[in-house]
Amino acid sequence: MRRILVLVLVLCSAHLRADEVLRIFNWNNYITEESVREFEARCGCRVAQDYFSDNEEMLAKLAAGATGYDVIVPTSNAVETLIRSDQLQRLDKSKLPRLANTKPEFLRQDFDPDNRYSVPYAYSVTLLGYNVEKLRELGVATDTWAALFDPRQLVKLKGRVTVLDSQRELFGAALIYLGYPVNETDATRLRQARDLILRAKPYWAAFNAGSYAKELAVGNIWLAQGYSIDMQLARQDAARAGRRFRIGFSTPKEGAVFALDNLVIHKSARQVGLAHRFIDFWLEGRAPASITNAIGAGNVNRVAMQWVDPAVAANRDLFPDERALKQLQQVRDYDRHTRRLLNRLWVEVKVR
Amino acid sequence: MARTNTERARQSLVAAPPLVFLVVFFLAPAIIMALASLRYPGEFGALAPLVATKPGEEAGLTAENYRLFFSDSIYLEIFVKSFGIAALTTLLCLAGAYPLALLMARSAKRRRDLMVLLCVLPFASNFLVRVYAWMIMLGPFELLFTPIAVICALVYVHLPFMVLPLYTNLERHDPLLLDAAQDLGANAWQCFWRVTFRLSLPGVFAGSALVFIPVLGVFAIPEILGGIGDWLVGNMIKEAFLGVRDWPFGSMLSIMLTLCVLAIAWVTARLARLGGGRA
Amino acid sequence: MRRFALGVEIVAMLVVFASFFAGEARHAVIGIGVALLGAAALGGVSGAKSGGQRGVPGFWLWYASIAVYAFLYIPLAIVVVFSFNDSKLNAEWVGFTLAWYERLLADEGMLIAAANSLFIAFVASAVATSLGTLAGIAMHARRLRLLPVLVFAPVAMPEILLGVSLLIFFLNAVQPALGMVGVDFQLGLASVIIAHVSFSIGFVAIIVRARLAGTDEAIFEAARDLGATPWQAFRLVTFPLILPGIVAGALMAFTLSLDDFVITFFTAGVGTRTLPLEIYTMIKVAVTPEVNAVSTLLMLITLATIVIASRIAPDALRSQA
Repeated sequence: MRRILVLVLVLCSAHLRADEVLRIFNWNNYITEESVREFEARCGCRVAQDYFSDNEEMLAKLAAGATGYDVIVPTSNAVETLIRSDQLQRLDKSKLPRLANTKPEFLRQDFDPDNRYSVPYAYSVTLLGYNVEKLRELGVATDTWAALFDPRQLVKLKGRVTVLDSQRELFGAALIYLGYPVNETDATRLRQARDLILRAKPYWAAFNAGSYAKELAVGNIWLAQGYSIDMQLARQDAARAGRRFRIGFSTPKEGAVFALDNLVIHKSARQVGLAHRFIDFWLEGRAPASITNAIGAGNVNRVAMQWVDPAVAANRDLFPDERALKQLQQVRDYDRHTRRLLNRLWVEVKVR
Repeated sequence: MARTNTERARQSLVAAPPLVFLVVFFLAPAIIMALASLRYPGEFGALAPLVATKPGEEAGLTAENYRLFFSDSIYLEIFVKSFGIAALTTLLCLAGAYPLALLMARSAKRRRDLMVLLCVLPFASNFLVRVYAWMIMLGPFELLFTPIAVICALVYVHLPFMVLPLYTNLERHDPLLLDAAQDLGANAWQCFWRVTFRLSLPGVFAGSALVFIPVLGVFAIPEILGGIGDWLVGNMIKEAFLGVRDWPFGSMLSIMLTLCVLAIAWVTARLARLGGGRA
Repeated sequence: MRRFALGVEIVAMLVVFASFFAGEARHAVIGIGVALLGAAALGGVSGAKSGGQRGVPGFWLWYASIAVYAFLYIPLAIVVVFSFNDSKLNAEWVGFTLAWYERLLADEGMLIAAANSLFIAFVASAVATSLGTLAGIAMHARRLRLLPVLVFAPVAMPEILLGVSLLIFFLNAVQPALGMVGVDFQLGLASVIIAHVSFSIGFVAIIVRARLAGTDEAIFEAARDLGATPWQAFRLVTFPLILPGIVAGALMAFTLSLDDFVITFFTAGVGTRTLPLEIYTMIKVAVTPEVNAVSTLLMLITLATIVIASRIAPDALRSQA
């Protein structure tokens, strides 16, 4: 009963203090509760988060005209789209004194050379996660995309492999394995990638975007293409469940896709001042450190490293060094025609 | 039915509220999106403007999307496959729901409420969590990521959509009719098939519609549980909107799907009327 | 013999269910369960008498029905039991814990989302049921042309299309139109409810119409011949007859609304959270057992609501023949 009363009061008070609510559109569980509360305490405001689980969902909603979000956390290619379709505000650098805390290699990205609109938030790498014991037993090398695409390797893993259900991610991996850039637009090369995928497809179990971590941790799947954060979770869970195998993950030597998430302010934001304060709060470093410790999100903040759990910081796949970083590529949006071409190839990949 | 003017006016009054609501909140948006299928995709996704604002920009209306659809047999393949799976799911739901609905309709009055409640209760829990439960169940049988998994989950999710219409129809049946049939010498199977099933046809069609159509648009289940070959129209439409941001293409696919469904519904309604109508 | 076979069937279900906690012995346990099921079937066949006589349900009907109920409820039992699972992933049984319920009760966001979902579901199903019933009656009475298409099409249309089109419509038509009259329309609970009503009307109308189709016309004519006014005819004859259809439609609209993600995602305003929105966006991270916990609680709430409702209106689901 008391809880219901509290709930009602909270709802009422939320309505009363409507002027001081910072609305954030973020990935689910991408900021810890403590960080949110810390910021709320500091600014004397309320933080209301809405979630999306895919950049495309967020972009679709914004494209239809939805307004009201102050801060959004899009991935780089989405930031580029938002900038070019004129949906973002310029950042007032004078309000972001701690911008210098960011590791320099993450600033001045192609899509926003002067960081006029965006500030790096966190990142993840798309890599291979696997059942250590099983793959060692079968003699499959795990530091290369061949494990995913080479039928000679795959025949040992038949029915135990999943790949990401994402056009750019799967084609990205195929292109990298063939030695082409991730943002290749040449139709012939894209078709080569499609053929590579179709040759490997019969050995795969599924295109899976959401539950591969689960299936790895349980042992139904032995190899999965997925995000570093999910693999970290799978590893932790398998250990806690006392399984007889361990989950490992590694970034293939040919290179991989790297997803940098950023903080941006939407053009229609009502709380511009608060938005800047939030971004500066994030730049301080404690909040990124706490989410890194919690889920293994890549940390872009120099200062934050002191609060990051050493075991997590030591993981080369979660924290690629300078050299490895050069191997990683970010996805950039295709133009309309290449998008249609890729979509057509994707349909074939799915159906044939 | 009397066709007096007052009678007709009254019937129009009854039809008015839902009509108005749907014209405003469904027809208008639907027309917007139907138009969208005749436009170009925008540079950054969504829709290109109707009037070109930059030189060389594609704008205005076009039948390009429909041309793409009809010039390529692969889309038809996916449609046919989806219809097949929807039909299979509907049949399985019918097979599973019919005994249940029959039992409910014939049970003692006190138990009926409980049974209907028990039928609907699972659906107060979250869809995703139920699908995950299926993953847990299918894992040990090595059935995960197979078409069987998809069908199981589809039947599971749509079963009550078949039970409820069947039940409300069967509940109306007069047991005296069965007595009469028996007195006339029919055996148990004939009693069922010729009397009960025949009378329940409106319920069967209603339930089938409520299963068949949503299954055609489904994408979450193949996504989560499906294997490499399980890709349906719903997935394709989702990919268009939320994967490539090609709204015109997605809109065109949706319109095609809707038209197919309406066509099937019309044909079925015709057959139902020809085949005997109301008992 | 029949009772025994039924009993064996129930035991078999329990055995299969328990196998999900049995770890490595799982396959053996499942085998035993299936064998027992087969035995039950054989027992049923040998002792069966075909049913359907005089409206008393026969053995086969019971057997098939229990099998279907088991099919419905075993996954559900897994949902409930796994809400006590000591693991972040919803994959296998690790250990027992109440932690997820504690987290749920402290998780303001999730609770608000659940409350919103219930509120939206109640309102949307109430409105959809009213409109859908009217539509069902109208469609049964006369062979209309426009209404069936309008009622049917939202059911036929993919949800994404409905969601996006409604969003565009709200933002580009409704908002400016109401703005001109001085009303500040924002996306929020109202827009979600309207969207849910849109696609639910069809379901209710179809069920109500099917219900009416199974009814003998003579009853209505008799009422008229006996001098009842149309309103009396409706109130005393039609309404009680279709009430089970209305209630079934309402239940369906309620569950459709409660669990809707796609349309809600597009039409929800900033800050409007519903349970599916919270949960589906967890897919990318981890769908923790907290979701199982909230589902269990929602089922209990629904159960309680319906039990209370059936006490108040005990004859709602039966015809007043």
